[in-house]
Amino acid sequence: MKKFTELVTPFASVAEDENLPGQDLSWLKTMRDKALTQFNEYGLPSKKVENWKYTSLWELTQQSFNHQALAVTVSQQECQGIALLDDAYRVVIIDGVFDAELSQLDNLQVGVTIRPFSQSLDTVEQQLGQQVSMDKVGLTALNTLLMKEGVMVHVSAKTMVKKPIELLVIQSGTTDNLATHLRNMIMLDHDATATVVEHYVGLSDLSCFTNVVSEVVLADNAELFHYKLQKESKNAIHIATLAAKQAAGSQWHTNNISLGAKLVRNDVHSLLEGEKSHTTMDGLYLLNDAQHIDNHTRIDHLVPNTTSNELYKGVLDDKSHGVFNGKVIVHKDAQKTDSKEYNHNLLLSRDCEIDTKPEMEIYADDVKCGHGSTVGQLDKDQLFFLRARGLDEVSARSLLTHAFAVEVLDRIPNDTIRKAMSIVIEQQLPTGER
Amino acid sequence: MAEQKQQIEEFVPSEYSAGFVTDIESDSLPPGLSEDVVRQISAIKGEPEFLLEWRLKAYRHWLTLETPEWAHVTYPEIDYQAISYYSAPKQKTDGPKSLDEVDPELLRTYEKLGVPLEERARLAGVAVDAVFDSVSVANTFQDKLAEEGILFMPFSKAVKEHPELLKKYLGSVVSYRDNYYTALNSAVFSDGSFVYIPKGVRCPMELSTYFRINAANTGQFERTLIIADDDAYVSYLEGCTAPMRDENQLHAAVVELVALERAEIKYSTVQNWYPGDENGVGGIYNFVTKRAVCRGESSKVSWTQVETGSAITWKYPSVILQGDNSIGEFYSVAVTNNMQQADTGTKMIHLGKNTSSTIISKGISAGRSQNAYRGLVRVGPNADNARNYTECDSLLMGDTSAAHTFPYIEVKNPTAQVEHEASTSKISEDQLFYCKQRGMDTEDAVSMIVNGFCKQVIHQLPMEFAVEAQNLLGLSLEGSVG
Repeated sequence: MKKFTELVTPFASVAEDENLPGQDLSWLKTMRDKALTQFNEYGLPSKKVENWKYTSLWELTQQSFNHQALAVTVSQQECQGIALLDDAYRVVIIDGVFDAELSQLDNLQVGVTIRPFSQSLDTVEQQLGQQVSMDKVGLTALNTLLMKEGVMVHVSAKTMVKKPIELLVIQSGTTDNLATHLRNMIMLDHDATATVVEHYVGLSDLSCFTNVVSEVVLADNAELFHYKLQKESKNAIHIATLAAKQAAGSQWHTNNISLGAKLVRNDVHSLLEGEKSHTTMDGLYLLNDAQHIDNHTRIDHLVPNTTSNELYKGVLDDKSHGVFNGKVIVHKDAQKTDSKEYNHNLLLSRDCEIDTKPEMEIYADDVKCGHGSTVGQLDKDQLFFLRARGLDEVSARSLLTHAFAVEVLDRIPNDTIRKAMSIVIEQQLPTGER
Repeated sequence: MAEQKQQIEEFVPSEYSAGFVTDIESDSLPPGLSEDVVRQISAIKGEPEFLLEWRLKAYRHWLTLETPEWAHVTYPEIDYQAISYYSAPKQKTDGPKSLDEVDPELLRTYEKLGVPLEERARLAGVAVDAVFDSVSVANTFQDKLAEEGILFMPFSKAVKEHPELLKKYLGSVVSYRDNYYTALNSAVFSDGSFVYIPKGVRCPMELSTYFRINAANTGQFERTLIIADDDAYVSYLEGCTAPMRDENQLHAAVVELVALERAEIKYSTVQNWYPGDENGVGGIYNFVTKRAVCRGESSKVSWTQVETGSAITWKYPSVILQGDNSIGEFYSVAVTNNMQQADTGTKMIHLGKNTSSTIISKGISAGRSQNAYRGLVRVGPNADNARNYTECDSLLMGDTSAAHTFPYIEVKNPTAQVEHEASTSKISEDQLFYCKQRGMDTEDAVSMIVNGFCKQVIHQLPMEFAVEAQNLLGLSLEGSVG
């Protein structure tokens, strides 16, 4: 593996050359300088770092990346085909560049601001970088150093956004080894409600590297339904950090669906800072070929009377490798915490591997915390039941696999989104042919 | 640091005059650790060349290692040069002359635990021969074991009488290279127990009573090796329910179990070393490496542990399920109170086909203590139809204690079935109220509820120990509620 210092230099020089937004802003410059220092210090995490025990970023060190994308056009029609939702506010980013033509941001509801990140630096000054840490692992520092585009969503107090907001990130595959560093800021004022879908799509099999950081700020009683659908190219490296700070009574419902990319790492983190706040962390990963996915989640219960509910499910086929690490921390004095955390995995092939670790750290006594984790295969009795009713082996297996995966989707309350997601997943689910 | 040590050693002559032996036999080695000390220990014990070589290899490897820091425990750095690595067995005259001279607090504890009178004296370190003749009792046991061909003796005796067995099995389960403390133990281990059960023999008694009478003061770096040959069975009990006052701060023991074809080993531990006072002053650091290998087909190893003592417990009794159809079990109760810290659990490594393992872990934390379960279940690519069931429950008492769970699950075979379940809750107010309403005092009520919580594990202990363990649980949690 190359030494970290060798890696820092190309990225750092990019920071010099590139036309990064906000170079005239002194606070942002300070932030980027700090990021450079941190990245220099920690570099990319090696497998010796406990949180990266099962995932190697070796691939990332083996290639050099382009930071400037070639011009590309995607037609309105194509875009419609790719988008998950028809009736939605939409921000389209192609190869790391905001596309105003394809985005649908006309007639925004009163109290709702949706803008590309590069054009909203003034509004994010207070919150930018507050939800994530640049410590220890250099990836967030790298993102901070090079962040260029993304989406900024702001919802004013007591506003309910009527349409879902879709962030459509397209990797067109025109530029080989393109690296994009996206930063999304989603801020809801008190009693606001919104639905955001982050949708990552790859149009070719070219390799690319996406490093995205999404920060969520929920004020008192705000509620955010936050979905992520990742369907990047089979040669992509996708690294994502999703972090939220939650004030009293706020609710954050996440559903993290990973289908694409060769190497995926998701870090999902919620900080329950206000009483009666709640987090739902759901996720589904369907893997085949030599895909590698690593989901690391962390929920911090910092004050009394907070709740969390987590369900991650995985279906692994071929030579794929899945990693799940869920950490629930109940801090001192966070009494009456109620936390449930589950991870279930279905293994379909001899060559796949799953490493799962549902962790709990509990420093308060009056709490209800449970976690569970299973690894297994399709139930023989259930298969027999279906076969006895005339289904052939293949259909029976397909049906059971589908039933296993769909439990995660069933937890999405919005009909339109659930149906749209179901259709996408249907295509990816392995058939029962063995 | 290691480099510096090596440099120093170059200047210190490694020759060692034999005359020194008689000198220290009545005393202990001066504090400090060097290749010389390792040679001295080996010389005192009159060990064969291969064992000395092995010790030296371990010592040299130890120099290259760094203290592990991944466990969820904190403690001041240990100065390995400040420890004396050998002390001759304590003289009988050192102890108090009769029970009247013993600390009354200790006596009260014995009474609560129901330790037999004559044993109380021995545990408190009263000159044993004056109280009752332990030697004859021990001899009766020994005769019976010899009849069956069972070897059960101190390690140092086994070295002299059965070097071929040692050569074959020592370090075959826990290599000296395994971790920091195994390297240290392998270099300086003082003594321990050796058990060999011949083919087809079912050991007629729990190897506990004998141990309790004979093997006290084996020192802080013990080593236990148990081999159950084909179709053999043995149940081994280590430790003692009564609190052992011990001066040694650091205990780094190694236990190796080998189960051959269809053999079964049941290993039970009740650990109640001095936990330090309520402010966390003093207490034992218990850093133990325990591992078993089910080498033969259909073999079985079962670990049962009740951990109530020690300032810091850091141990993971593990089973390598190598033989097809082999079975591993781990039953654990870990109680921490005051400032105690426990990071304990197990590893089940499934390699053979149709192997199965069960893990039941109960953690109870009170006071300002930290109690962590850390476990690994690994299913290798060839372990078809492997089956694991894990359950780890934590009970919290008081809002200053903490409970943690770190279960690692690694599966590389699609026919494996692995289940992990964990829960954390506090002691139920309703249950407490119910008991108190029926006239029980708080302490008895807590003790009863805790015992109910741990029943699954306590049931695995041999009868007479189960009773003592139950009392011990109540005793460890005294004053933690109310």
